[in-house]
Amino acid sequence: MKQKHIQHLFWRASFGINYNELNKLETKSTSKVVKELFKDSKTINTLKVNLDELLDVKLKSKKELKEIYSAKELQKLRNKSRKKVRELNYAWIDRLSENKSVLREKMTLFWANVFVCRDNDIFFIQQYNNVLRQHALGDFRAFVKAIAMEPSMSKYLNNRQNVKRKPNENFARELMELFTLGIGNYTEQDIKESARAFTGWSFKRNGAFFLRKKHHDYNQKTFFGKTGNFNGDEIIDIILDQKQCARFICSKIYQYFVNPRINKSRLEEITTVFYKDYNISNVMQYIFTSKWFYDDENIGVKIKSPIELLVGINKTVPVKFNKKRQLNYLQKMMGQQLLYPENVAGWKGGKSWIDSNTLMFRMKLASLILNNAIINLEEKGDFEDTFEMYYKKAKKRNRFIKTTKNWEYFDAIYSNISSKELTETIVVSKLDKDTENFLNNLDITSNRDFCVQLMSIPEYQLC
Amino acid sequence: MKRRDFLKQSTLASSLFFVPNFVKAFENVTKNTFQHKKLVIIQLAGGNDGLNTIIPYTNDIYYKSRPQLSIKKNKLIKVTDELGFHQSLSPLKNLYDQGYLSIINNVGYPNPNRSHFRSTDIWQTASDANEYMSSGWVGRYIEKYGKNPYSGIELDDSLSLIMKGENINGIATKNPNVLFANTNTPFFGKLLNKQTDEHLSEHNLGYLYKTMIEAKSSAKYIYQTSKTYKSKLEYPKNPFGGQLKTTAEFINSNLESKVYYVSMGGFDTHANQVNRQSNLLKTYSESIEVFVNDLKKNDTFKDTLILTFSEFGRRVQQNAAAGTDHGAANNVFLIGENLNKKGFYNDAPNLMNLDQNKDIIHTVDFREIYATILDKWLEVDHHSIISKKFSTLNFI
Repeated sequence: MKQKHIQHLFWRASFGINYNELNKLETKSTSKVVKELFKDSKTINTLKVNLDELLDVKLKSKKELKEIYSAKELQKLRNKSRKKVRELNYAWIDRLSENKSVLREKMTLFWANVFVCRDNDIFFIQQYNNVLRQHALGDFRAFVKAIAMEPSMSKYLNNRQNVKRKPNENFARELMELFTLGIGNYTEQDIKESARAFTGWSFKRNGAFFLRKKHHDYNQKTFFGKTGNFNGDEIIDIILDQKQCARFICSKIYQYFVNPRINKSRLEEITTVFYKDYNISNVMQYIFTSKWFYDDENIGVKIKSPIELLVGINKTVPVKFNKKRQLNYLQKMMGQQLLYPENVAGWKGGKSWIDSNTLMFRMKLASLILNNAIINLEEKGDFEDTFEMYYKKAKKRNRFIKTTKNWEYFDAIYSNISSKELTETIVVSKLDKDTENFLNNLDITSNRDFCVQLMSIPEYQLC
Repeated sequence: MKRRDFLKQSTLASSLFFVPNFVKAFENVTKNTFQHKKLVIIQLAGGNDGLNTIIPYTNDIYYKSRPQLSIKKNKLIKVTDELGFHQSLSPLKNLYDQGYLSIINNVGYPNPNRSHFRSTDIWQTASDANEYMSSGWVGRYIEKYGKNPYSGIELDDSLSLIMKGENINGIATKNPNVLFANTNTPFFGKLLNKQTDEHLSEHNLGYLYKTMIEAKSSAKYIYQTSKTYKSKLEYPKNPFGGQLKTTAEFINSNLESKVYYVSMGGFDTHANQVNRQSNLLKTYSESIEVFVNDLKKNDTFKDTLILTFSEFGRRVQQNAAAGTDHGAANNVFLIGENLNKKGFYNDAPNLMNLDQNKDIIHTVDFREIYATILDKWLEVDHHSIISKKFSTLNFI
């Protein structure tokens, strides 16, 4: 496999590849490399933070809790749960930087922006995150059905309020508009009818699904021209019968893994593959082994998401954040906080990551976390903050991102390679001529410094 | 030519010698399309309790719904037979007395969403409640009519959705010196100075370079222009006062920016609302009064319209923690010298007729206000910015 092609594959299927690994793979064929990528992602390592101290609270009813705890203590517990969600965010980013199951992890991140969900309950959102991980490379049909039953999703899209007497259409609408078909590919009547099929769907405190039978509408529904006593699962089956569903998901896959600009005939090609069995592994394998995946027009043309940028740097020079909140700050400033999507439509990605402020910040990111650059910008306050809290962050001018850098790891791999090789390993996009000249005339003092400089040019924003 | 204009143009002109040709091309776009009207948008983030801001002091339902929170008749500033201002709003009352204030009651949208995030999205993108848009209404205005990041400035360090277009966005800064310094680090400076215009045809790479160049030239323009005027008035010593002071300096230095966005936080008063809201309204109104005086002193108030909104109002019924929960329709303030309809634009909220959550029902769609501002103040067709057509109001 060509070096450029391996890098391309690993930037899309993971967060880049280091120089040593790259060299190891060069003698192998594309099909072999791709096969190993999938094999490495067979195992599912669930992501968990320690929730022992909240376990007791989780399984008690509201009434029981009120007997044990004061209102103030309960508020404290809720805050603790929120704090744990942030911990899960940090653990997730650590996970993304590991070198195991890289494809599964990248796919999990992808699906999190398809089946968008948000929940302050750490038990539910952690369970949800692992459902994404479990199905990331599996059967899409089972995946959608699993998502529909998740407590976090039920809460997020008001399916708990969806009862026979008074159906709530929110979940049914987003299921079709954002998760499976795309806007315009169903009627308002389809939404009304399918919402009835999900009535009474609920969950227990331990996160298990259960049907509140007296709230479920067992009557006939007419959906996409079919009439029957459909339940939610059957509605999902009918949705997947539409080839548009395969096309909709494939267009997301294409834009995320291949090219932000869709090539219509390629899209139809993979849609046909996916529609056959809705097997996610099959379609991904098809893409990664296609010749066209490695066409020049697909390489280095995607704008990295903030997380891709951050994790990419972290994989080259491993970094530990001494103040975890600063990791939160970085995500906020760049506009992507994992587990905190802005709305159910998810992050739009591509150019929308970039404005004057985020671009300057992103180009400074490497020096911030690797070179102790001074930061003098503040994050926005939260809606729930008091006035004082909202603006509190504004008082700390000129601070540093406190990190522990593992430069030794970098040195072991990169210290003896030429600046040309380092450039080619770090930057996957083709270089702008003027920038290339600029880099050629740079006085390179060490590969460490040069690496940070390479990470500070616009080309590093692409993968 | 005014001396200030001459200075501005000459500094711009001299700086042009140092930038490549294609950067000039970006800078020139705005020159002719701009007029002098300014819009300042203030969001009271968190959901201001409109009912305790403009108080229906003759309404029994109001007093019954809020045994601890309602404001007694003798503790408010009466302005009409049925409505009064919160005591902390006496600076706003001064503006009201001078005919500079128009209050629109019951502003909202169909199927109101009670999440801060979602409702803010809706207000900022001008979408329907079940529509997801990735650009803000001011962003789209900048993209279509301003064509340059500095056409719209957010007084913060990162950009909100309201300021984002599809290909051109506004720019965020609390402090032009910091922004300028950040776009002028030696490394970026050298990198950019080496640029010719070849990469501009490249899809995403070209977009990155273009954004970088625009950021740099916008930062420079804002920095160099705004330093020609430093406000001499005393603003309240708090961050919101600081944001408005910087805004006044931008406007009074004749910066060609059209729209300014300021978010003031702290209004999510679920508990112990009385003192918290009182302080917030004091901060808001005192800062606004100085801001207006600052503009008046420099003869720029006549060209400035100030819109204040909140993502939602709060529930009529108070909660058990002496606070209020998320509600729906709310009042909106418009401040300016050339208002058509001074004082109250429409009737007070009808507390007899609430929605199923017992929240105030909207009678004015917030997009009618936007449409009016776009059509009558910024003088562009609102339909080119907001996907639906709305009827316009006659407050300006």
